[in-house]
Amino acid sequence: MRTWSGWALSVLGVVVAISGAATMVVLGPDSRLTTGPHAIETDAIAVVTAPKVIRWADVQVDILAEVPVRKPIFIGIGNTVDVQDFVGEAQRLEITRFKRPWDLDTRDVEGAPNLRGAPTAVDWWIDSSAGLGGASISTQLPDETVSVAILSVGSSNLSGLEVTLAYGVRGGFAKGAALLLLGLALLWVGVLVLRGVRARGDEDDDLEEEVVYVYVDEDGVEHEISAEEAADLEVVEELEEPVEAEDPAEPAAVPEPEPVAVPEPEPVAVPEPEPEAVPEPEPEAVPEPEPGPEPVAEHPPEHQPVAETVMYVYVDEDGVEHEVSEDELAEFEIVDEEDER
Amino acid sequence: MRRLLLVLTCSLALAACAVPHHRDDVSVSKSAARQAEVTEVFDRYREVRNSAIELLDPKPLSTVETDAVLAIDTGSFEVSQRLAQKQEGDTADIEVTDVETPRFDTYPLWFFAVVRDKALGVNRVQIFERSSSVEPWLLSASPETLGETAIPAIRHSSGAALPVAADDGRGMSMSAQDAAAAYASVLADPDAPEAATIPDDSFIKQMRATAATNSALDGVQFKQTWEAQDVQYALRTSDGGALAFVTLLRQDTYAVEDGLTITWPEGSPQQAFLSQGIAGSGTLTYLHQVLLYIPGGRGDPRALGQYGGVVSGEDNS
Repeated sequence: MRTWSGWALSVLGVVVAISGAATMVVLGPDSRLTTGPHAIETDAIAVVTAPKVIRWADVQVDILAEVPVRKPIFIGIGNTVDVQDFVGEAQRLEITRFKRPWDLDTRDVEGAPNLRGAPTAVDWWIDSSAGLGGASISTQLPDETVSVAILSVGSSNLSGLEVTLAYGVRGGFAKGAALLLLGLALLWVGVLVLRGVRARGDEDDDLEEEVVYVYVDEDGVEHEISAEEAADLEVVEELEEPVEAEDPAEPAAVPEPEPVAVPEPEPVAVPEPEPEAVPEPEPEAVPEPEPGPEPVAEHPPEHQPVAETVMYVYVDEDGVEHEVSEDELAEFEIVDEEDER
Repeated sequence: MRRLLLVLTCSLALAACAVPHHRDDVSVSKSAARQAEVTEVFDRYREVRNSAIELLDPKPLSTVETDAVLAIDTGSFEVSQRLAQKQEGDTADIEVTDVETPRFDTYPLWFFAVVRDKALGVNRVQIFERSSSVEPWLLSASPETLGETAIPAIRHSSGAALPVAADDGRGMSMSAQDAAAAYASVLADPDAPEAATIPDDSFIKQMRATAATNSALDGVQFKQTWEAQDVQYALRTSDGGALAFVTLLRQDTYAVEDGLTITWPEGSPQQAFLSQGIAGSGTLTYLHQVLLYIPGGRGDPRALGQYGGVVSGEDNS
């Protein structure tokens, strides 16, 4: 599951980052693409986009319309219902298709040589501007059907019209940068997730293969030894202590000596000074018939004077060990004989 | 980790805001008016109307009213002018209790509003219309209902009030136009076949009483005609019916025997238009705007309110 999440985050991060970078590259620092000026050949009094030609929303558009000799000109964008009613009876050039960056299909529509009224006198323009020789608008396309109208004002017409168009996303460059950073962040998180999974997998593998050899000296201090050194010694106790899989916080906790170091509480195992010195337990050495009640973990190892010395121990009812001499053995009955392994 | 994911999710959501998108469901339509525009229309209407009242001149009204409302109010102003009466200004505390804006794909645009006049205890159910892109918003219908009269809820589609074509009778006993014609027929003749489908409401009773009074004049032949004009505004109600604004043209014609003259009381609108009375023959023309409710199903149409008055008087003698 974590592996899948890591890959998903990484792939998503790459996609988001690439799209952010692409946005930045395509739009540039001014967040828009500009084309023009383009000449539009007409002697009509209006140039308008037909209904449904503009099909985008939330696009930032800047349109500059220019005519020669400082002729008065008006440019506006409004709901198509309004624009069509306003220019519906006027002679006009209608843009029937527009393809980016600048590919137009147009048709001439016959009509009256004047508009129904002054475009500057109506209140339904979403954005509009009028000027001498040129006018421009800068607006974000709304989520409704709109048309753009370039209109002559007064008795002039639109001959010599040139149009410059810019379109893009408001704050697009910054949004692209944000997307890029966001993608990189996602990628980073994905890699972190993947590395976490891999480290855990490696840890599990190590646990299966790694063998730690420890020898405990007379004072109970553990010493890690190599496999070669261990081969020269007799193996007394072999413990297998896998690290719990649920603990991801300690992936590198392989050489934990504690689990191996804690001597198992069998009373016979306590006195282990030298591996080769441990004699095979004498069957008759353990006097008490009762099995050892509780492991005596806290019981310090008995001092073993000589490696060759055989020590006899009996465990009383309270689990306390008592060293007995070889002579006293006769008084006890051997009940149990532990294999030191 | 979870916080980081939350931040990333929020960032993605914010980044998606106002993202340019291609509109596949392009339809040429427009909501008649936005709320701010409606408020502006009301403010302008009251301002101009008060100016006209102050000047006692109906001419400014033509910039905020049209059709029957303008004709009725102009008649009212002419009465005031001739009788040298001053009308009360429109400064009463009003409350716009409902605004319904249909969507249209072509002009004219219009919207519906209910204005409560607390001083008079009436609701004005109004229609403002913009006939073309270069025309201002004009009040074109304003029947009044009593304050306690319930106005049927309007049905909406895609957030906009749903208009009904005048000849659309689906889900109703008759279309708005047929209901208007039937209503006019019953007003003109109580025994008309349409009387079976139009119950007598208070407006019908009031008009019949007036007609009976005029017919009772000695030496006078009285004739009253009613005609329903084309229904321009109708909205679908939530019960599947329609709320229609019907304009009725009423003409009262008097034929007076020689040697007689009929006159009206001082200060009455009729007297203002026919100050010398009628000797011979004459006609008074009225316009009445009736708010007609056609219930969904098989219910009979009935009037919820009206607004009307004398618009002209003619002495043919």
